[in-house]
Amino acid sequence: MNPSLLQSDHLLSLLLAVPALGAFVVLFMPRQWTRALRLTSVGFMLAEFGLSFSLLSADYSDGGYHFVEKVSWIETWGISYHLGVDGISLWLVFLTTLLTPIALFVSWTSIKTKVKEYALAFLMLELAMLGAFVSLDLFLFYVFWELMLVPMYFIIGVWGGAQRVYAAVKFFIYTMVGSLLMLVAILYLVGAYHQVAGHYSFDLLELRHLIIPRGTQIWLFLAFILAFAIKVPMFPFHTWLPDAHTQAPTGGSVILAAVMLKLGIYGFLRFAMPLFPLASQLIGPTIALFGIIGIIYGAWAAWVQKDAKKLVAYSSVSHMGFIALGLFAMTEHGVNGALLQMLNHGVSTGALFILVGVIYERRHTRLFSEFGGLAKVMPWYALFFVIVALSSIGLPGTNGFVGEFMILVGTFTSNAEVGFGPWGRVFTLFAATGVIFAAVYMLHAVLKIFWGPITHKANEALADLSFREVAALLPLMGLIFWIGLYPATFLDRSEDAVNHFVQDFTAKYDASKLDDSLRLWGVPPAAAEAVADNPAPGDAPSVVADAAGGAR
Amino acid sequence: MSLPIELALVALFTPAAMAVILALVPPLRRTGRPAAWLSVLAASISLGASVWLFADQLGHPSRDLLESVRWLPHAGAAMANVGLRIDGISAGMTLVVTLVAFCVQVFSLDYMRSEPAADLGRYFTYHSFFIFSMLLLVLAPNLLQLFFGWELVGLTSYLLIGFYFKKPSAAKAAVKAFWVTKLADTGLLLALVVLYTHTGGFEWTSHPGAEVATIITLLLFVAVMGKSAQFPLHVWLPDAMEGPTPVSALLHAATMVAAGVYLIVRTNPLFAQAEFTREVMVWIGSFTAVFAAVIACVQTDIKKVLAYSTCSQLGYMVAALGAGSVMGGYFHLTTHAFFKALLFLAAGSVIHAVHSNEMSDMGGLWKRMKLTTIVFVIGSVSLAGIPGLAGFFSKDLILEGMLESGHTVPWLMLLGAAFLTAFYMGRVLFTAFFGELSEKAKHAHEGGWEMQLPLVLLAIPALGAGYFASRFAGMWHLEYELHLNLEAGAASGLAILGFAVAYVMYGRGAPVATPAILRPIAKLAASGVLDRFYEGLYRVLGLKLAGAVGFFDRYVVDGLMNLSGYLALTAGQKLRRLQSGNVRDYVFVVAFAIFALSAFGILR
Repeated sequence: MNPSLLQSDHLLSLLLAVPALGAFVVLFMPRQWTRALRLTSVGFMLAEFGLSFSLLSADYSDGGYHFVEKVSWIETWGISYHLGVDGISLWLVFLTTLLTPIALFVSWTSIKTKVKEYALAFLMLELAMLGAFVSLDLFLFYVFWELMLVPMYFIIGVWGGAQRVYAAVKFFIYTMVGSLLMLVAILYLVGAYHQVAGHYSFDLLELRHLIIPRGTQIWLFLAFILAFAIKVPMFPFHTWLPDAHTQAPTGGSVILAAVMLKLGIYGFLRFAMPLFPLASQLIGPTIALFGIIGIIYGAWAAWVQKDAKKLVAYSSVSHMGFIALGLFAMTEHGVNGALLQMLNHGVSTGALFILVGVIYERRHTRLFSEFGGLAKVMPWYALFFVIVALSSIGLPGTNGFVGEFMILVGTFTSNAEVGFGPWGRVFTLFAATGVIFAAVYMLHAVLKIFWGPITHKANEALADLSFREVAALLPLMGLIFWIGLYPATFLDRSEDAVNHFVQDFTAKYDASKLDDSLRLWGVPPAAAEAVADNPAPGDAPSVVADAAGGAR
Repeated sequence: MSLPIELALVALFTPAAMAVILALVPPLRRTGRPAAWLSVLAASISLGASVWLFADQLGHPSRDLLESVRWLPHAGAAMANVGLRIDGISAGMTLVVTLVAFCVQVFSLDYMRSEPAADLGRYFTYHSFFIFSMLLLVLAPNLLQLFFGWELVGLTSYLLIGFYFKKPSAAKAAVKAFWVTKLADTGLLLALVVLYTHTGGFEWTSHPGAEVATIITLLLFVAVMGKSAQFPLHVWLPDAMEGPTPVSALLHAATMVAAGVYLIVRTNPLFAQAEFTREVMVWIGSFTAVFAAVIACVQTDIKKVLAYSTCSQLGYMVAALGAGSVMGGYFHLTTHAFFKALLFLAAGSVIHAVHSNEMSDMGGLWKRMKLTTIVFVIGSVSLAGIPGLAGFFSKDLILEGMLESGHTVPWLMLLGAAFLTAFYMGRVLFTAFFGELSEKAKHAHEGGWEMQLPLVLLAIPALGAGYFASRFAGMWHLEYELHLNLEAGAASGLAILGFAVAYVMYGRGAPVATPAILRPIAKLAASGVLDRFYEGLYRVLGLKLAGAVGFFDRYVVDGLMNLSGYLALTAGQKLRRLQSGNVRDYVFVVAFAIFALSAFGILR
């Protein structure tokens, strides 16, 4: 690749172009060339992963956006092709570019039919997910957001299990309904912006400065979070997840759990909360409450599952509850922990789905009652599984502990007006019980699968992990320990953006709660100028303070 | 970097490196004995470094070294550090841990000889990892790193209890131990959160105020109750005896279970600020001491006797720390580590010879196993607190501390426990080692040198560690003075009386029957009331409540979603009829609408 291109201002476009180009190449390859199709698609994905390392060349300590690209797309509606990456999206981009090739790689042999379409679906999925993570324009984001559904719908519906159509339709309708309300809210927001500013804009960085009346904020916020809460998924909108996971092929489950669920939380963090700070402060504790319900409820539901994949799916509900809790704590520790835990959940749950897929491929069943005593015949498999299970429990030394601990600290210290107020401590107490229940259901699973005598003849001659499976799992194992032992590598690059986000949110909330003009729509002139002068401002709180001052 | 830091790093990371190598290189691990010897080598290097470190510390008793690096960043600075803290307390514990661990590993070379090579390698991998985890805890400069080690030793305990994982009872015991301790560990986790919130760090030397200190220490104590098997969270320890006997000696008697006590010693500056917590500790500790001692009197499995005895002795330490006698608690931890590891290894030597844990299968072993009998007598007498042996000095210190702090009733309870201790140890001695030679013991013989050497090595401190009490006290910056008064005499007298009663009841070859007064207790112990309570809780929470949640999720939450989907579909079917494709219908609707709207307009 041309080195000058890597240093160019179009790095993010290039990142989006690689999977698109891969899809284009795959499209014109003969479908019988299964091996070549697999190699090509994984090759493009690995190149993409390599390319994402050039994102590290920027200095993220200013907390702002980097590699920003802005090109007007549909000028009359104020829609632009606006990309940028900051410390918050940086690691999520990495998560995507790492997990996608792994997910495709683990399905190397289990997917035998329509290999070409399968590879195409994954390349498109990667493009859509990356696009959603780097979009700074609401229209562009929405396009990518919806684009994700299509390949995933086919991955579940075509290569899934026996009830794949039911699961795929459920997944599609569920997420679609949520997104449509968000679209309505976006359009409403843009219309209002036109009225006060005189021009249309879908640009997040411009819309952020809009002063929105309290009541309207609540409605718009609710419309946004419905879409995101379904994606996360938060209790009680989670029931599509166990069905989707059990029916999806292993690769689909991995991407779904590891990356797509993160987009829900990312949506809160990037769009819903900065756009509607008053509403999000008002409703945040309630969402956190649902997060806590999800933590305990998901753990209990996981405990009684008979199917290993369902157990992992419900454990996701529990873990995502933790992340939501940390996010709405609105303390630096809480949000940093939530962001780190997003990575952790991606790594650990991705690995768990791969591991469940391993025994499914060998026995074509995932029922606990069909296993037992596997530690004897599959020692490597047992070692990997136990490590990932311990990371999921949050054992110190693994990644799970760092995120969970920071979230607990963040929740406990969230006792100011912005945050949980008096509820922070109560929330911490309940969330901590989730740690115990995680140990209960995870070790229960380990006990059932690995320990005790071998009770089924078919298990006596199971092959241990193959080279390909080890190769797919090793990077994830490495990350489990890397994040667990030296989280600074990751936190150092992300925490400034997060801290700015928290300070910005707090400042904006403090300024606007006293502001009487909040009953009206408006754009503070100072902010409008700031936007005009600097199309990609760092999230400097001073701009916001000016904005609030100008409105008064 | 100074010498002590380097020594500590060697002690810490040699076993860690060995564990990692053995874990990652299966061909090496599966060789069995070579892997075992490598692990012993790592343990001996670690022991050597610890001895040097300890000797160095003896030369500089007031030295307090701290070396740390940033671990968790926050806002350009550190939220938490990791590192090493070397002072008299950690240097002493490091020596205890590595010495016992070394002895246990050497002992295991012979004891585990008949295991398949791959399993033997796995066993020693866990052991190497244990030394690292335990030293990580011992040398921690702050509470967060201590928690790291705390959880890792819990993990090793889980893996080693479940070493015979094909045996369902062992697998269950391992999971039970992990769950109970994990439940308790949440206390430590929350304590960390509270400590950080109030002091901005994880230092135990901070002063967050009496109220906060009470909350923190209570939370810490919950974790201690789990790890150090205090009533009512002790239930996992007897079951943990499912693990191999050397494991019981190292983890579940000498070191890991004592980590709770060590935690209190280490964080004493916090506990000193929390009077209420200390009062709770006195009572729970004393109660555990008596309660476990009573149960130990009715056990017939030699390992179970020792397990309950461990509970009971940990109760002594906790009570002592509650009464403010740090020296008593910590010194008893040290002496207990030696004599209890000795007792467990001696019991292992017996089990190895007779292939049974039941005391009724033993008897007259003196005739076949002289060395084992001698060291078992030393261990028992030391544990019972007969004057002159290590246990006497530390137990005396505890009892004195209780009286000095005005805890008369707990003092009486501990005195009673001292009597019971001598009684149950006498019962084991007289039934297992003396009297008629039993059928199974006919072919008993001592193990190889690998088993005999550790017994001798541990018997020495079990005999004589008491005489160094004042030296240790100086190193720990604590006060020690031996008072030979009437109260001290009372405890020793009761201990001798305990042995005497045991001799009268079992000394003449009587079978291991339960004494009549203790029968109701035996019944109660056998029924396992507390175990059944927890099991009930597990059933209610696990099978009923979680089952209900599973059902609720499947049929109510998901059912409602499916219902709304169904309603939407049905509504769609109904509405579809409106779109009949018949132009006349549409015209009619349009005409009607125009009429209705104009009527509405006019009327308004």
